[in-house]
Amino acid sequence: MKSILITYDQAHHEAIIELLDRSGCRGFTGFGTVQGRGSSKGEPHYGTHAWPSLASAIITIVTDDHVDALLDRLKALDEAKPLLGLRAFVWNIERSI
Amino acid sequence: MSLYGSAVKRPIMTTLCFVAVVILGLFSLAKLPIDLYPDIDTNTIMVITMYPGASSEDIEQNVTKPLENTLNAVEHLKHITSKSRENTSVITLEFEYGYDIDVLTNDVRDKLDMVESSLPDDCENPIIFKFSTDMIPICLLSVEAKESMPGLYKILDEGLVNPLARVDGVGSVSISGAPKREIHIYCDPNRLEAYGLTVEQISSVIQAENRNVPGGAFDIGSNTYALRVEGEFDSSDQIADLPVGSYGGKVVYLRDVARVDDSLEERTQETYINGEAGAIIIIQKQSGANSVQISDKVMKMLPRLQKNLPSDVKVGVVVDTSDNIRNTIASLEETVLYALLFVMIVVFLFLGRWRATMIIIITIPVSLIASFIYLFATGNTLNIVSLSALSISIGMVVDDAIVVLENVTTHIERGADPKQAAVHGTNEVAISVIASTLTLIAVFFPLTLVTGMTGVLFRQLGWMVTIMMIISTTCALSLTPMLCSQWLRLVRHHGKLYNRLYLPIERVLDRFDDGYANLLRRVVSHRTLTVIICLGIFVGSVFLMRFVGTEFFPTQDNARIGVNLELPIGARVETAREVTCRLDSLWRKKYPEIKVMTYTVGPASSDNTFASLSDNGAHIISMNISLTDPGDRKRGIKEIADGMRSDLDREFPEYKKAQVNVGGGRGMGMGGQSTIDFEIYGYDFTETDSVARQLQAILRGIPGTADITISRSDYQPEYQVDFDREKLSMYGLNLQTAAMYLRNRINGAISSQFREDGEEYDIKVMYDPAHRTTLEDIENIIIYSPSGAGIKVKDLGKVVERFTPPTIERKDRERLVTVSTVVDGAPMSEVVAEAEMKIDEMHLPAGITVGLAGSYEDQQDSFGDLLLLGALIIILVYIVMAAQFESLTYPGIIMTSLLFAFSGVFLILWLTGHTLNVMSMIGAIMLIGIVVKNGIVLIDYISLNRERGMSIRRAVIDGGRSRLRPVVMTTLTTILGMVPMAVGSGQGSEMWRPMGVAVIGGLTFSTILTLLFVPVLYCSFAGRGVKRTRRKLRASNTEFKNPDTAL
Repeated sequence: MKSILITYDQAHHEAIIELLDRSGCRGFTGFGTVQGRGSSKGEPHYGTHAWPSLASAIITIVTDDHVDALLDRLKALDEAKPLLGLRAFVWNIERSI
Repeated sequence: MSLYGSAVKRPIMTTLCFVAVVILGLFSLAKLPIDLYPDIDTNTIMVITMYPGASSEDIEQNVTKPLENTLNAVEHLKHITSKSRENTSVITLEFEYGYDIDVLTNDVRDKLDMVESSLPDDCENPIIFKFSTDMIPICLLSVEAKESMPGLYKILDEGLVNPLARVDGVGSVSISGAPKREIHIYCDPNRLEAYGLTVEQISSVIQAENRNVPGGAFDIGSNTYALRVEGEFDSSDQIADLPVGSYGGKVVYLRDVARVDDSLEERTQETYINGEAGAIIIIQKQSGANSVQISDKVMKMLPRLQKNLPSDVKVGVVVDTSDNIRNTIASLEETVLYALLFVMIVVFLFLGRWRATMIIIITIPVSLIASFIYLFATGNTLNIVSLSALSISIGMVVDDAIVVLENVTTHIERGADPKQAAVHGTNEVAISVIASTLTLIAVFFPLTLVTGMTGVLFRQLGWMVTIMMIISTTCALSLTPMLCSQWLRLVRHHGKLYNRLYLPIERVLDRFDDGYANLLRRVVSHRTLTVIICLGIFVGSVFLMRFVGTEFFPTQDNARIGVNLELPIGARVETAREVTCRLDSLWRKKYPEIKVMTYTVGPASSDNTFASLSDNGAHIISMNISLTDPGDRKRGIKEIADGMRSDLDREFPEYKKAQVNVGGGRGMGMGGQSTIDFEIYGYDFTETDSVARQLQAILRGIPGTADITISRSDYQPEYQVDFDREKLSMYGLNLQTAAMYLRNRINGAISSQFREDGEEYDIKVMYDPAHRTTLEDIENIIIYSPSGAGIKVKDLGKVVERFTPPTIERKDRERLVTVSTVVDGAPMSEVVAEAEMKIDEMHLPAGITVGLAGSYEDQQDSFGDLLLLGALIIILVYIVMAAQFESLTYPGIIMTSLLFAFSGVFLILWLTGHTLNVMSMIGAIMLIGIVVKNGIVLIDYISLNRERGMSIRRAVIDGGRSRLRPVVMTTLTTILGMVPMAVGSGQGSEMWRPMGVAVIGGLTFSTILTLLFVPVLYCSFAGRGVKRTRRKLRASNTEFKNPDTAL
């Protein structure tokens, strides 16, 4: 089991949900809108007067075999719209109930 | 969920909601009546009191004064004026605008009840009379006739007046110029004397003979019959054969002492239409009814009524006020459409895409049409004010949608899905869109709070624009994002047509941006110089103010001229007719622009309500001239009126007084030429008269004055019979009996009515006209004593010529004379300034003061109101901006653009030769909201750049560059929306032209200077702010390093 944290520009939200469905990942936890900025480039997403855009984050726990396909799809989406930020991070799940 | 979120999610619901609004709006539009101005409630009440037999001074002392003193306590009273003439006292109460006249009428009635007991015993009860603009006739119909002329009154009364009076909304229909039939019994005094008869006897004989008397019912056998005596005359010939007495055992018939003249009233008003005698039918509307609707109904009925009239009676239309209204509204509608077109072109040029253009343009009809619902719901009309509001708003309602669309487009270009882009893009700008709408509402909403006449006019403007702004913001936050999500697509490659057409424009716009950025860079480097130059321009323009004249309202060319002429008092109708006939033919030759010209001479009969309300008499002539449409003639109405005035001056010395009134009436507030009234207060007649004459001479010498008249008329010559009371009592007579003898012989005694075909005509017994032409005729009138002895008037008293004092006018409980002048060819302010200077040089007798009134007073009141309003608006706008920016400095910086807006207004008024009047001031007030919007957009983006970490200088230059297009675009839409108003030449365009011109000038000038001045000020203030922060930081650092010194 792996957990994948996807943070993205909120404009991506519907595309991400659809992408999860297509990849057969049913479960996820959304964080609503969150603030943040990229490590190297891109606009900050603060929801303020200066930086009005906002980001969203989703965490989904999937079986190991799903990870690659999901990440590939996310990468494709990110590359299709370079000006909207999209990042995904994967780590292990030790235990769950 | 947010408004725009659900709108994007539910496109059908959103669309249909707006479709519903549009349908309701169109429905309201179809039902909306049209009118020239918004409903102006009456603000005048007249109190008329009759006191028969009292002279004007008695009336003043015993009736007018006590009434005035009591009525003065009624609330909201602005002025109380009165006219005390023989037998009558007319008090006019003028109230502040905006109060319920019914409530005021009740107050007046209560006060009258209080004072009634202290009025003289013979004085009749005061009558309350509400006067309003509704009393002005809406239609004048001309009637020409040949054979039917003698019976014209009856024909018109039955065939035209009665059917027209039944039209819904018509108040009264009166005929002037068609004399009524009257049967005169002209007695020969010598024969009467010979037979020992009197006029009274003959009158009572006629009265006694012309009767039908029912004799009751009686039974014959089984039937009941009515018994009647029918003695009423079947024809007027029968009267001549009446036995009126006997002399020497023989019967004396009426024909022996008198002749029967079955003809028309003796003294009546005569009317001439284009030089031919005829009749005029005057149609007045009921209070509150719509002129255009009524006139439509009347015009529709006319052909049908014409058919029933004898073939020689021709009915024509002299004046149809609804024509002017219809043309004015039509030309304003055209203006609105042009504005729409111009705005569309600007939006398309700047956006370059038709879909985006459509999204923006759609907000215009939606917000405009929605405002019709308001008009309909509040019972308002489509008028100059409401249509101007539409024209003004067209350029402004698109602004919000543009901001939203621009941001959504940025999101789409970044790669967001249109739906997401629409929601998030709108979300980001929603607050600033609402804030900028609030600043505009801060300007227009206070307009609804203005009082006075300007308030009545601009309340509707305020509401309309406020409502349209709210609707357009709602539209921008729901319909626009929805349409963006549906219609906008990410376009990476443009078609060939686009490249060919739009790329050159794009290139020009880019070069424009670059040029501005360069200029900005230079300006920011020379801040002090820029500030000095800009302030210099402002101060310079303030000096221009001295050259821009002021007036109340612009004169409107409504193609109507009214002329009031007066011959010396006592002139006979024949003289008036002859002189005016000459004038008539001269003018109709000299001014081919005249369409119809009618004039009325002679005293009005009492049943002509309209004519009897205005001044009338044998020596007074009133003319009504209709010109062709302003578009069809070269000379303007003012020019023609000027020509007429000089004709009257040079070629017609016969007229003692002459007034040429542009627009039909004088001093009607809006539309007509402005007047200045100089009111001379003082008790003594001779002193005030001489001051009035001096003032008249002074005014004649001031350029820009015309038609100078003195309100007080001359002493009226008349003959009075002074009876010797002792002699009267010797013969057992009293004054009243003796006076009645005189009246019955000269004025005539109405003895009875002659009935024919259901109509009644007066039978009047009087002396033959040949026997009442000299003083001797009067002196030889025989009065019979109760014992039957005949005594001549000359034996009972003396006939003397006397002069009766004229009408006594009072205002605010003081006697006054008004010298009034029309302002023509020079701004009102200049005329007033020069006149005031000359009046100061005059040596006024003690106790006499000169005050100013007329349009000048109204102008001063309105300007005062508007200046106060301007101050209020500036404060409100500042509050809204300070709240938005959470800063007190930024709004201050933005407000400086107002200085240049006002400079621009003065500059353009000076260049175009317009004056500063109520309309241009309203334009200047609107500018407060429009101009600061530019500043807000600029400062908002510059401070955003600063928050993003740019240096002040870079933030300013970068911000200026990127906001140039939105600023120029919204400014251009507003300016071009106003252009049709400013250059329009249709009927009524004189009215709103100054407003359009003021907005265009102010906005252009201030936008150019704002784009340079505001960034410079921002730099200076932000720089100082940064320095202050640094100093603080340094201080706290040193404190931190040396804690000892801090203690």
